[in-house]
Amino acid sequence: MALSRGKLNTPYVIQQIHAAQEDLRDFLFTLGCYPGEKITILSKLSGHYIVSIRNARYSIDESLAEAIFV
Amino acid sequence: MRMALAGNPNSGKTTLFNAITGRIEPVGNWPGVTVEKKEGHLLDRLNPTSEDILAVDLPGAYSLSPYTSEESVTRDFIRNEHPDVLINVVDATSLSRSLFLTTQLLELGIPVVVALNKSDRTARKGDTIRIDLLSKRLGCPVIETVATKARHNGLPRLVEAAVEAARRGTQAAPVIDGIREVAAQDMAQQADRARFEFVRSIVEDVERRTTSPDQLTRQDRWDRVLAHKWLGPLLFVGVIWFIFWVSQSTVGPWLADTFVGWLEAFQEWVRGFMADVHPLVASLLVDGILGGVIAVVGFLPLIMVMFFLMALFEDCGYMARVAVVMDRHFKKIGLSGRSVIPMVLGTACAIPGIMATRTIKNERQRRTTAMLTPFMPCGAKLPIIALFAGAFFPGNVWIGPSMYLLGIVLIIGSAVLVRRITGDTSRSHFIMELPEYRIPSVRRAAVSMLSRGRAFVVKAGTVILVCNAVVHILQTFDWRFRVVAEDAVHTSILASVAGPVAWLLIPLGFGIWQFAAAAITGFIAKENVVGTLAVTFGIANFIDVEAAFAIGSVAALSYLVFNLFSPPCFAAIGAIRAEVDSTRWTLGAVAFQLAVGYTLAFLTYQGGTLLTLGRVGDGFVGGLVAVLVMAGILAILAAKGGRKPLPEPVAPQAAPHVAPHVAPQKEAGA
Repeated sequence: MALSRGKLNTPYVIQQIHAAQEDLRDFLFTLGCYPGEKITILSKLSGHYIVSIRNARYSIDESLAEAIFV
Repeated sequence: MRMALAGNPNSGKTTLFNAITGRIEPVGNWPGVTVEKKEGHLLDRLNPTSEDILAVDLPGAYSLSPYTSEESVTRDFIRNEHPDVLINVVDATSLSRSLFLTTQLLELGIPVVVALNKSDRTARKGDTIRIDLLSKRLGCPVIETVATKARHNGLPRLVEAAVEAARRGTQAAPVIDGIREVAAQDMAQQADRARFEFVRSIVEDVERRTTSPDQLTRQDRWDRVLAHKWLGPLLFVGVIWFIFWVSQSTVGPWLADTFVGWLEAFQEWVRGFMADVHPLVASLLVDGILGGVIAVVGFLPLIMVMFFLMALFEDCGYMARVAVVMDRHFKKIGLSGRSVIPMVLGTACAIPGIMATRTIKNERQRRTTAMLTPFMPCGAKLPIIALFAGAFFPGNVWIGPSMYLLGIVLIIGSAVLVRRITGDTSRSHFIMELPEYRIPSVRRAAVSMLSRGRAFVVKAGTVILVCNAVVHILQTFDWRFRVVAEDAVHTSILASVAGPVAWLLIPLGFGIWQFAAAAITGFIAKENVVGTLAVTFGIANFIDVEAAFAIGSVAALSYLVFNLFSPPCFAAIGAIRAEVDSTRWTLGAVAFQLAVGYTLAFLTYQGGTLLTLGRVGDGFVGGLVAVLVMAGILAILAAKGGRKPLPEPVAPQAAPHVAPHVAPQKEAGA
């Protein structure tokens, strides 16, 4: 399922990243956001998802949350 | 010897750089503050050698495969310039992400020293990191640092270790299982996976956390308010309003009154010395040079107060949240939440604002943001606002802040128009690291304020001073270099040059050669607008300006709007040229800004005159024709852009994944 449909404060394991742009996938990779890694949604604010990846906090928009499958 | 600072965004590289070089480069608590390379000489008291050591600060990067253009700066420098030692600044609070870049740096063969920065924060959270073990596993020195502290910050030890490492001259890469085989197969992603596995095993061994990273913290509770759907934008507008209200309507002017008093006393004191000097020379010195500079420097307190508050704003971690909050709104107009950062920075000076657009990935969004950032009135335009608001609308606290709101409105409208003209409706994903909040440092804000204030005074004493002198000379002489008579100032060189331009400005309400001259010198530097007005009207204190200027308040407002929203100074246009990297975009941007400034001033003057006097102002028909022609051209462009077939989904034109380990590995293997 897409991360955008995930529940708050539940650790998910990333299955796949459906981003069309290869450089975005590479960029996400360098943040530790790639299949097999854990991702947790901490809150949903202003249409954004505040997620925790490898102890760091990021804000991602809805479209990116739809591209990350967990 | 050259030492380069590399590390993830917002790990504290520039803070560390400032601390070891004594420089005052802008710092802030959000990822992407530094977008270009900065160089400085290591402070003598930290330098253990007798030779000169150059420190190089680089933009933050998550890896050596750049995603945005400022990351390329870092990659290119490290790979092509080959510094003697790399100081890898690692944020101790996000070790497992930061060490990924470290593994890449370690494979370049350049000696690496890790600065484990923000180590006070891990301690405060009760987390521990085993430094010795980390150093052993990575195969390079690891020094704990707190770059924000003045003492006991670990920096002397860091510099010593770096110098020692540079003398050693080589760096052995840690053995990462599996990387050698995959490197041969050139499967970069698998190599990167191996790196992450390596990092994970290190972090498991060296880091003891008392808190789970996924737990909600006080930070998150702050986020819920500051990044709230509708509370967020409201608070942002409130904060910006507060900054301008304090600097321009309350504390700023109050300080400026006292300050200007001193400056005038100084001017009279100088005039006293000039009794025996030829009156022409005395007038050039006292009225031309000194008067013009005083007119500009008098606004220093307003600017310093604004810079101080802006520095607090940039230091606390709020900026990244503003980008998040504004993202959904900016997406609607074809920009990104990141576009808000250049615009906020642009209120101090448009040039760093324009350069900050480098952190925006999408090309059209980046170019549009660079072109629209000058619509946020910069610090140099602040004296113009203060002068006209103070002289023509005394006691009105709305004029100043509403100019910034007008700037925002213009940006929104223009962004929609640009999207339409380019026919490019591509969207981009948004991802931004959220830094931890911190209590802004008054010391850092004061340092930043003094440094920016100093730059303002230096500019007033150089560029502005020369311009004022030239203006004074040009208005004193006519083309035959005869001194013009008091009642024939319109025969001066300046008047005859500015006259034809003034004719174009009649429909805007200020077709007077002095105003035209000030608008023209404003393109050299916006501070010149006030300086030139002071020189040409022969006033320095701007107390009874309304009588001196001989224009009404409607025309004054129109002139203010024209100067704020017409093209920025040449330096800013140059910055736009550099960032958009296209002559067409640059010319388009300048033409567009000119059209916006002219149209807005026209509407202000003619509309205001109609409201106050019940008739249209001078030159209405001519101005209307000009405005309609400009609007027509834009409409045609927009219609053309709208008909453009949607661009084919662009094939991912990613730079081939750069595998920094390949080259050194091959050499090592040979």
